[in-house]
Amino acid sequence: MAEIRAEEPASTISKTFLIKPKLKSKPRSLPQTPESKYWSSFKSTKIPNLVSSISSLSFSPSPPHLFATAYSTSVSLFSPLSLSDGDVSPSSTISSFSDVVSSIAFRNDGLLLAASDLSGLIQVFDVKTRTPLRRLRSHTRPVRFVKYPVLDKLHLLSGGDDAVVKFWDVAGESLVLDLMGHKDYVRCSDCSPVSPDLFVTGSYDHTVKVWDVRVENSRSVLEVNHGKPVEDVIYLPSGGLIATAGGNSVKIWDLIGGGRMVYSMESHNKTVTSICVGRVRKENDGAESMEDRILSVGLDGYMKVFDFGNMKVTHSMRFPAPLMSVSFSPDCRTRVIGTSNGIIFAGRRKGKENVESGRVGNVLGFESISEPERRVLRPTYFRYFHRGQSEKPTEGDYLVMRNKKIKLAEHDKLLKKFRHKDALVSVLSRKNRENVVAVMEELVARKKLLKCVSNLDSDELGLLLTFLSKNATMPRYSSLLMGLTKKVIEMRVEDIRNSDALKGHIRNLKRSIEEELRIQHSLQEIQGVISPLLRIAGRR
Amino acid sequence: MMRGGRSLVSSPPAFSNDAKKLLVCTSNTVSVFSTVTGLLITSLEGHTALVTSVIVVPPSNPAAKVLCYCWTASLDGTIRYWDFSLPELMKTIDIRMPIFSMVIPSFLDVPAEENGKHQDLFAYVSIEDTKETQERTKASRRQIRKCNLSKSRLVGRLILGETRKPEVLTVSPSGKFFGIRNKCKLHIWKVLDQGSERAAVRKITLHHTKKITVIAFHPTQRIIAAGDVTGRILTWRGFGNRAFAASNGVADQKLINVQEDKPGVRDNDDADSCSTWHWHSAEVNVLSFSSDGSYLYSGGKEGVLVVWQLDTGKKKFLPRIGSPLLYFIDSPDPTLSSISCADNQIHLLKMPSMGILKTISGIKAPCFYPDIYEGLGNGIAFDQTAGIVAVRTENYCIQFYSLFDDRGVSEVQVCERNHQPGDDVTVIVTSVALSIDGSLMSTSEVKLAEEGIGGLVCLKFWDAGSQNKEFSLSTIVYEPHRDAGISAVKFHPSGNMVVSSSFGGDFKVWKCNHDVIQNDQMRQNFSWTCHSVGSYKKKPMTAAAFSADGSVLAVAAETLITLWNPYKNVLLAVLGETLTPIVNLSFVGKSDNLVAASCGSNPQLSVWNMSKLSVSWSYKLHIEAVASAVDLSSFAALVLLPESSKKTTFKGMDGVILLFNATDPVPTVIWSVRKAKGGALCFVQVNPSSVEEISIDGKAPEVLLAYMNGDHEYVLFDPYCKDAREVSVSQKEGLAAHDHKGQAGQYGYASIYGELPEFDRKRPEAPWVPSFPSDRPWETIFSGSSHNLPPLTKLCSAFLESLLEKRTAAAE
Repeated sequence: MAEIRAEEPASTISKTFLIKPKLKSKPRSLPQTPESKYWSSFKSTKIPNLVSSISSLSFSPSPPHLFATAYSTSVSLFSPLSLSDGDVSPSSTISSFSDVVSSIAFRNDGLLLAASDLSGLIQVFDVKTRTPLRRLRSHTRPVRFVKYPVLDKLHLLSGGDDAVVKFWDVAGESLVLDLMGHKDYVRCSDCSPVSPDLFVTGSYDHTVKVWDVRVENSRSVLEVNHGKPVEDVIYLPSGGLIATAGGNSVKIWDLIGGGRMVYSMESHNKTVTSICVGRVRKENDGAESMEDRILSVGLDGYMKVFDFGNMKVTHSMRFPAPLMSVSFSPDCRTRVIGTSNGIIFAGRRKGKENVESGRVGNVLGFESISEPERRVLRPTYFRYFHRGQSEKPTEGDYLVMRNKKIKLAEHDKLLKKFRHKDALVSVLSRKNRENVVAVMEELVARKKLLKCVSNLDSDELGLLLTFLSKNATMPRYSSLLMGLTKKVIEMRVEDIRNSDALKGHIRNLKRSIEEELRIQHSLQEIQGVISPLLRIAGRR
Repeated sequence: MMRGGRSLVSSPPAFSNDAKKLLVCTSNTVSVFSTVTGLLITSLEGHTALVTSVIVVPPSNPAAKVLCYCWTASLDGTIRYWDFSLPELMKTIDIRMPIFSMVIPSFLDVPAEENGKHQDLFAYVSIEDTKETQERTKASRRQIRKCNLSKSRLVGRLILGETRKPEVLTVSPSGKFFGIRNKCKLHIWKVLDQGSERAAVRKITLHHTKKITVIAFHPTQRIIAAGDVTGRILTWRGFGNRAFAASNGVADQKLINVQEDKPGVRDNDDADSCSTWHWHSAEVNVLSFSSDGSYLYSGGKEGVLVVWQLDTGKKKFLPRIGSPLLYFIDSPDPTLSSISCADNQIHLLKMPSMGILKTISGIKAPCFYPDIYEGLGNGIAFDQTAGIVAVRTENYCIQFYSLFDDRGVSEVQVCERNHQPGDDVTVIVTSVALSIDGSLMSTSEVKLAEEGIGGLVCLKFWDAGSQNKEFSLSTIVYEPHRDAGISAVKFHPSGNMVVSSSFGGDFKVWKCNHDVIQNDQMRQNFSWTCHSVGSYKKKPMTAAAFSADGSVLAVAAETLITLWNPYKNVLLAVLGETLTPIVNLSFVGKSDNLVAASCGSNPQLSVWNMSKLSVSWSYKLHIEAVASAVDLSSFAALVLLPESSKKTTFKGMDGVILLFNATDPVPTVIWSVRKAKGGALCFVQVNPSSVEEISIDGKAPEVLLAYMNGDHEYVLFDPYCKDAREVSVSQKEGLAAHDHKGQAGQYGYASIYGELPEFDRKRPEAPWVPSFPSDRPWETIFSGSSHNLPPLTKLCSAFLESLLEKRTAAAE
């Protein structure tokens, strides 16, 4: 109890301390979280002068992750490597389009690029030679999107203002399926990262439909209503969730759960034009892992980073123009945002240039669903030495308790080393009565107590005499201590005579003994009064 | 009849060839233990005296590894050859002289029966020549001789050496040398030609300045190690180069003498060099080379096994064995070896790491204390129902030993103190008592004072958990009778009451409050508190006993016996007087008789009748122990024989066990025993599980009498069995004289105290009537220890009230 009472005032005081007003004004930016630090670490480069609105951005899935931009009637390819050197000129440009390019898509090996334009034509280019290999014409109205399935190299998906989604066989330049169902312009789509047959499309009729090419009657498998014209839709890496952007909200839907809305993020002020999946490096438990985020850009000029694990906006960044498109490179080093006035804000993080080279073989595009990446801990890292320490036991684990370390007091250690006198002196200076008596009893058991007494120097003898004068008359210890006192005085009579300090101790001792004697006397007097009475009573 | 508790460490044990069995000499028999389980497999019975050597025949080829043959030598003068797998006696060689030690060096060199000619097998024996007493002085009767085992006789008159004491022969693993120690000298013989009987064996002698205690031969090289009484280990290298290697030219020897520089070798001994290691503080008892010869194991009184690397002298230790080491034996399996300790334990070691795998646990020897503490009882308690005996041991433990299984069950450390062999004794466990069901234990210990300071008496109560029989401490009482020592601790038959009597003049009855705590497992929580205190005329209380139904507590106040009601703490009666203080009290089963044994100059065994409150009969006998069965009307007494009769009538026997019917002064059966001093007796109930092995002639006895002698060897027998009685008949004539004397003692006693019965009958009447506690509050009001007393104000009013009452009574 006493301890608790002592604690409480201290804590209240610490709460009522006045905070000294700061002289400097508070910085406008919020204190940086590790995550916003991460996002600010993308060193921004401006790529200007691209004539008009950037309608589409796409990264090549294979290193070095070139990115293609569609603007006006041309498609430009940029190398992120040259970006970090400050070179903002495109590495190559394709301009064999008759109308404004609406959408571009890389095949999953990065060798082919599909582009659609508003004339309704879809062309497939070889990325290296920039020659059109196939021309797919069937759409009667402007095509708004073209997509390569993530796990499929042979087919292509497109849709446009004619409200029809078309599934193409690229090699034969032939149409495989017409998917009818949307009632308005189809604006966007994404292919499932886990299945080559599934994809979603979003339309201005507010709905997002999930299609399966294996379904015979070409009807949508699932349909969700976003509530606003859908501008963009993406699969989240697990393949079970999709995110849709429309109006000023981004909504997350659970496809496996039957199209249930999981969350609606409404932090943009104007229409969200584009979303993509980004990844952030996260440290938890000492090991590094990558976590997925949704990057969304809108006409309000903001890029928001949304953590769909915790349903929180973790970072937000403002750009000086309405934003039209966003893309994030698979190696997590480049992030590009296209604006409506022909400027691309490309951000690139520092890091080892070929950090992703180990994953070249992963051409099937499994990156997005693979395990979060962990950096291998090496003994050169500090964290190496803390690895696994915060691991929690699982249900079936058997706990092996470490034996509790026995803490020995100083006198115990000395006793273990047979330094008997030092042990006695050490415990005498600690002022714990029970311990002193216990040490004395142990010394008796070792037959060393008197030896110790004879070895004490005058200071230590003073310590012993102080202890004896205080405790010799305590009934609990008197049987031991009275005998010891007698012996000590007998043995060290010469030393006591020679020292005034010791004489003082002896005087104290004498006083306490006399007091005890007085008590005993008075007790005996009481006994003397009572015992005749007892005797009389007993005689009856 | 079951014998047990024999010493496992009287002579070195031996491993069988597959290292799965360990042959241990246990007095007259050789016990074969399994090294895997540590349990007894079988025993070789046939010798009639202590077996001193056991030698397993090593396999001549790998296929013969499964063969289990061994030679044993015994003090009864025979060498026997056994197949210990069956077990079966194959051959007996009688040489009619006690054999102290035997070695058979030449197993390896026997070329089997291959070349047709079977070579004789020779053994070297250390014997005492009992025949030639008249011609020779006693000093030179101990001889080393050669024995032809194949032809079953000693070799002629070939005497290799003579020593003052019987010496232990040590043979080298290669079979080429054997040696003995003789005070400060080592004698080493080289075994020469195997075939011929007469072959002269060459001998060299190495000298040292201290008494040598143990020797060991290197397995391959000519190295011999010897330990001495001061703890030094000497290693001679290249011994016997001159005498054994050189052909027979005296001139050559002289030449070598001049040339050689021999560091450390004394007195022109025949060795190349001699080096000394010194780590042991006391004498070295164990020396052994490892089988590859690169390590030397040594051990001694301090109970630490030291491993020396032979080339560098680096040491490794196995400490905390806790008892002096006696033997170290390597097994054919390189990962197994055994050490025998003086506390009757054989530890099997896992070798390179030296961890203790298993312990073959014999009963621990009694501990000897300085004479002042001699009279504190023998520290033996019996659990009658389970057949378990609890003995106190030297390392402040109580060892529980199963009488039926003949092995140690468990050990309970009573004092929190490490035991180091050779330490001064500072704490003594004075007594141990077990409740009838064996679940509760009470021990008392004395911490000895250092020149009058800091002595402490301590009473401890233990309880065994219901599942496991491990005892755990439940209550400690410091200074239960102030600074006075405890003379006896006894359990109430119901188990929830204990009486402790002290020399300080009072006894206390302790009561057990136990509450069951219901946590994850049922756990009983025992706590003991003082229930009542009693004293009689401030006389030292020397013994105590509860009656079988627990309604009467008898406490001996020196020469008187006081009877109490233990529940109400009321004095019921005081019984007459003996000449000397009573040390042992015991109620005889269900009958109304009380046995009291007193010691001193006028020892006495007296039986008191509770219904008449008078002595029934008595003997002038020195009683060591008394035992009575719970539901029988008879009791057994262990009697120490007086010096005079020991010489004449009992050959070597120093005690007798008398079985009395309580009402009859004539003993029904008498057995004579050895080593009765410090012995103990108990009636042990036979539990059904062990009936089969004990049942003698078809019917199982209900109760067995256990006798444990001063060396903790014990025997269990049926006191009412016919053949046991016949065994005793042969002794009975010899005892008759003493019997007569005993009766004469009774006669004399009756002549002195003839009127006692009437005198006693009157006396108890007096305390009977007024001892109702309500009438006389002042008698009990101030009794009890000071911290138990109610406050003085409360006492005073009650006390004065009682006085007032008296006044009014007087007025009326």
